[in-house]
Amino acid sequence: MTLVESATTPHRGSAPMGRLLGAELRWVLRRPRTLVMLGLFALVPILIAIGVVVADRGGGGLIGAIAGNGLVLPVAAMTLMLALLLPLAVGMAAADAIAGEAAHGTLRGLLLAPVGRGRLVLMKAFGVLVVAVTATLIVAVVGVIAGLVVVGGADGTLVTLSGTTLGFGEAMGRVGIAALWTVGQLAAVGAIALAISAFTEHPLVVLASVLGGLIVFGVLGAIPALDWLQPYLLTTGFSAGADVLRDPMTWGELGSSTLRALCYVAIGGGITASRMLTRDA
Amino acid sequence: MTASTEERTAARVVPPAAAVRGVRKVFGKTVAVDGIDLEVPTGSVLGMLGPNGSGKTTLIRMLLGLTRPTSGTAELLGHAVPDAAEQALPHVGALVEGPGFHPFLSGRENLRRVAATEPLLAGHEIRDAVGTALERVGLADAADRRFRGYSLGMKQRLGLAAALLVPRRLVVLDEPTNGLDPAGTRDVRRIVAELHAGGATVLVSSHLLAEVEATCTHVAVLQAGSLVASGELGALLEAGTGGLVVATPDVDTALEALRGIGATAFRDGDGIVVADGGPPAPEVVALLVRAGVAVHEARRRRARLEELFARLTEESP
Repeated sequence: MTLVESATTPHRGSAPMGRLLGAELRWVLRRPRTLVMLGLFALVPILIAIGVVVADRGGGGLIGAIAGNGLVLPVAAMTLMLALLLPLAVGMAAADAIAGEAAHGTLRGLLLAPVGRGRLVLMKAFGVLVVAVTATLIVAVVGVIAGLVVVGGADGTLVTLSGTTLGFGEAMGRVGIAALWTVGQLAAVGAIALAISAFTEHPLVVLASVLGGLIVFGVLGAIPALDWLQPYLLTTGFSAGADVLRDPMTWGELGSSTLRALCYVAIGGGITASRMLTRDA
Repeated sequence: MTASTEERTAARVVPPAAAVRGVRKVFGKTVAVDGIDLEVPTGSVLGMLGPNGSGKTTLIRMLLGLTRPTSGTAELLGHAVPDAAEQALPHVGALVEGPGFHPFLSGRENLRRVAATEPLLAGHEIRDAVGTALERVGLADAADRRFRGYSLGMKQRLGLAAALLVPRRLVVLDEPTNGLDPAGTRDVRRIVAELHAGGATVLVSSHLLAEVEATCTHVAVLQAGSLVASGELGALLEAGTGGLVVATPDVDTALEALRGIGATAFRDGDGIVVADGGPPAPEVVALLVRAGVAVHEARRRRARLEELFARLTEESP
């Protein structure tokens, strides 16, 4: 029986990619701390909504625009959380993805199976991307619901920053664009985090680098003498998300920040791949 | 008897299951492995012995392609390592540097995750393969508890189960009995014997000499990154000391008779030891009896592995 089976089984050097991605997905989404973090993220839009309602004052900026105009909430929440919380989630996922596996001794198992080293990078990048997408979606969806239920106003329509009114469908389209754009920015953070993760077996190093990096970028961006540095800093474009609330939409900042993010993805991905091809385990 | 002779002849013809040639591994200023040539014959159970820090694990890691030798070449099931390791590794099961698993998953879930990455397992075979492996290492009852709560021995058993998920041509076990109770140690011995009987090659590293002596057909002894002895266990033990031990009260008469035919012999405890190289054992005994020496017992002197190991590794530099 076994002999016949092994004779007819075609030779395979690696498990099917779909199965690897499935295993990675289960692993990422079953990790208790991922779930706790996603749960806490769901609370943020709700807290903002409550805060806006309780404050009951116009106020300025994006948060002020939420008052009486609930569908601004998801976009405001994503933009706000992109500053630190969402990158934290992605950084954590990337830290666990390679450095964490090395620390547990499970990276060795993956290489011995063998999952090819190239496939391993794809598998890990996929896992990080899943966390980025899930976290963003949760903020967006909870933001829409909390905006409609808690804040309410505008009869399910969105009053843009330019003063025009968009129907519910188009408003959802705008939220979707903001979510997609946010995932793009997070992918950049994730790619760099994954590259750092490939060089260490201490997950904390990855997390500290990501948060430290974001803070340093923020500081550099605030120094007038370093204006020439602005186009190269990922954080420069982090405020572009609010542009989806204008009518007509301005694509300039959204486009350039996405392009910048893709450059970071390419650099991070390249470094991760070249390191993982030779890394000892 | 005939079968084992045939096996031995066949083992000379087929290429070794694993081999290293002149491998050397340097970490910074530390030379972990200093130019080792070693073959693991196909179908053998090779016990790799050596004190802590003698380079056993580094050698195994180079064999499995986990780390690249500074110089020299390694080969696994006929494929160059680490460059073509991915061709050989599906057929290799390994437990290296302790079991590595995720604490938040149960033993079964951990093993499922490993099974999903096994190239030789079809999707529908995973559930059964995991169940069988868990039973084989005696972990079926604890399979659904979280890995976090496992004892050292249970963790070790799970690591063993991962190496046994698929029928393997080569199984590499690095210190498999670490943390195991006597029953666990017996289980490991049984599993190694089963693998050997099934035709698989097994490479076991250990510092437990009794384990190696009980389960291995071949031995390699490492000391400070160098190979100090290797070969078939029996041959190594015999070559280690050798000689014929004759228990007799008439030591002086015996020594005199042996000197008469030019054989080397000396007093040892309650008898004499006749060195190899002289007449064969039956002739020696016959000669002694003719000379009127009372022979209570005559046997070949075979060292325990422990003595051999001590002699090979404890020579002070």
